[in-house]
Amino acid sequence: MDIGYLYIVISPCRSSRNHCVRCENLSFRDEKPNLWKEPKFMALLVFLFIPFILSAQSIKPENPIQFKIKNAGITVDGTISDWEVEVDFDPKKLAQSSIRGKANPESIQTGIKLRDKHLHGREYFHIQKFPFISLESKSFQSKGKNTFVGIFELQIRDVKREVEIPFTLSQTGKQQKFKGEFVIDRLDFGIGEKSLVLSDEVRVIIEF
Amino acid sequence: MRKIIEKLSDLPNWLFVSLIFPLLALGFGEKTISILRELDIPRVWTDEAMKTWELPNPKPEYSPQPVSEEYYYAMAERTIYRSYPVYHPDYEPEGYWEWLQSLEPEVVWDPSKFITEEDWIKAGEMLFDHPIDTLGAILTNDLVRNPDFYDYVEMPLTPEGIMPFSRWVVTGKGRVRVGNLSCGMCHTRVMPDGSLIKGAQGNWAGDKASVFFATEEGFEPDNDLVRSMGFLMNALFGSPWSDGDPHGKLVSQGFDAIVKAFQSVPIGTFGRQGTSILFAPQAPDLIGVKDRKYLDHGGLGQHRGIEDMMRYIAMNQTMDILNFYGDFSPLGIPRERLISGRPIMFAGTHDRYSDEQLYALAKYVYSLTPPENPNKPSALSEKGKIIFAEQGCVTCHTPPLFTNNKLTPAEGFEIPEDHYEKYDIFDVSVGTDPNYTFNTRRSTGYYKIPSLKGLWYRGPYLHDGSISQLEDFFNHERLHEGWSPKPIKGHEFGMYLSEGDKKALVAYLLTL
Repeated sequence: MDIGYLYIVISPCRSSRNHCVRCENLSFRDEKPNLWKEPKFMALLVFLFIPFILSAQSIKPENPIQFKIKNAGITVDGTISDWEVEVDFDPKKLAQSSIRGKANPESIQTGIKLRDKHLHGREYFHIQKFPFISLESKSFQSKGKNTFVGIFELQIRDVKREVEIPFTLSQTGKQQKFKGEFVIDRLDFGIGEKSLVLSDEVRVIIEF
Repeated sequence: MRKIIEKLSDLPNWLFVSLIFPLLALGFGEKTISILRELDIPRVWTDEAMKTWELPNPKPEYSPQPVSEEYYYAMAERTIYRSYPVYHPDYEPEGYWEWLQSLEPEVVWDPSKFITEEDWIKAGEMLFDHPIDTLGAILTNDLVRNPDFYDYVEMPLTPEGIMPFSRWVVTGKGRVRVGNLSCGMCHTRVMPDGSLIKGAQGNWAGDKASVFFATEEGFEPDNDLVRSMGFLMNALFGSPWSDGDPHGKLVSQGFDAIVKAFQSVPIGTFGRQGTSILFAPQAPDLIGVKDRKYLDHGGLGQHRGIEDMMRYIAMNQTMDILNFYGDFSPLGIPRERLISGRPIMFAGTHDRYSDEQLYALAKYVYSLTPPENPNKPSALSEKGKIIFAEQGCVTCHTPPLFTNNKLTPAEGFEIPEDHYEKYDIFDVSVGTDPNYTFNTRRSTGYYKIPSLKGLWYRGPYLHDGSISQLEDFFNHERLHEGWSPKPIKGHEFGMYLSEGDKKALVAYLLTL
């Protein structure tokens, strides 16, 4: 079952539980009380995990995802405005950091309504079958002060591919601002077909 | 026997190879070319092919059921006689009519003489202009010799006074008949300077011509005529399964209503059989049709190769009037009446084109090229070219064909799942009038995305010819009540551009 963002919240609990299943087995031999059945223990666990959970911030960015594609020699600017991102990024703990995002392609806008409707269709995003585009970090590398490269898994339609996204971070107090830009080949993701006028390459700009 | 084989095996290979040389020499002879050429001509009307080349009706149980291969090939091949130009009576050379009467019929179709591709194309051009009816389906001898008729239909003529939509056919000495239903009857255009563009959207009032008789002074239809008109309406346009049965309703409104419908068909559109007199389709421009993936405005016929074009020509030249649609027959005949070797007498149904004739016709249609465009690129048109791209026109009207060769669903049509695999679908509707593709025998639920090539020499536009000039596409007033003769919905692009941008866009479109 795809539970989306809930996964982030639940997974630490699940991993703890796995661990404690072993404990439980041990305790069975020792005939110790089952802590998992103790409400107080559960409350303590939740309390202990709250800061951890809160560290993954959920953001509904103000700026839409932007994209640019050449059509008949003209650059078409488009946006996807409905998207969310979960960030747990510490430049000093890159191995523990993560960024996950989900975007709703139904919110795509290119300035021509009928074109947007066409992009919803099965030849492009096929929103009825694939209502989300997702992006999930795999690893990060520092490339200098406030400059990073992330390897992400990007899923559009039913195609998952790794993409490398260089991005910058500007941090004011606790507030983090990310900006990244990358290029994909729309045909890699089954977005439309080869065209004499529409380029394959799409430049994507993400800022939050 | 074994010894013979062994001895042959001992012979050197070069000896066997050398045996081919005399055959190669023969290969360049006319006879062999003729044999090879015949091998290239596809068999058009096979039961297998006819099952799948057309798209189904939106109500699939009423999809076309063509006659069988056996029935089709039992029909006589068309005899092609030499034909002659028809002049407006005021322009007819002196003694022309009498000269026609003195002529012997001359059969001019002889494929054994066709050696080159050019020969086939030339023969195809002759067939293109050759009528398949001389019994008066639309034009009669009396009509084309009556100057009032020309005035009534505002007949365009060449500078020589030739009416290029028909020809005189001499089928016997003294038997001179004006012909009907040639390809050229609907696909020949007379330009304002009198020049002809063959294959282009035709521009004469063919449907109005059909009811000239009803305008004569003192005319009163008798019962026989009213009954015949009802039969004709059913044969040409009947599709009683259509929602509201618009054609049945028209017949029930009476003779005058039918006449008015015929008179109201815009020039450049024709109420062809299987279509509609109420929402008559634009006569398609055949120039460039070689590159289209679908034929007919609704994309009824797939166009995967020359054999599909040949099928479409055969079908369009009235073979489809013998179709069944569910249990409906346009001619009102029972299925049992379709007996091989017993033709049904109706315009174009008692004989057929041979496969060779269809091949020549298709070759000619494929060879059509546009005349030189007088609208050369300018600063204004270059600006329009950018607007064309910015406005996203290129998505559907993709260069270089200026169509993406796809089918777009009419508003309200739910695309069956298997169509996505079978056909080229652009799954967004542009909201144009759906009647043609919902309420006729040629309905598919789709419209073919048209090419914009050659806009400068054609018009009116849209599948139903409802837009008379390019500027109207970008005029939002056309969407609303008050637009004459009625509002034109759909294809709402470029309506809110500045006047300057609209002019630039039109200037660009006219250069295509």
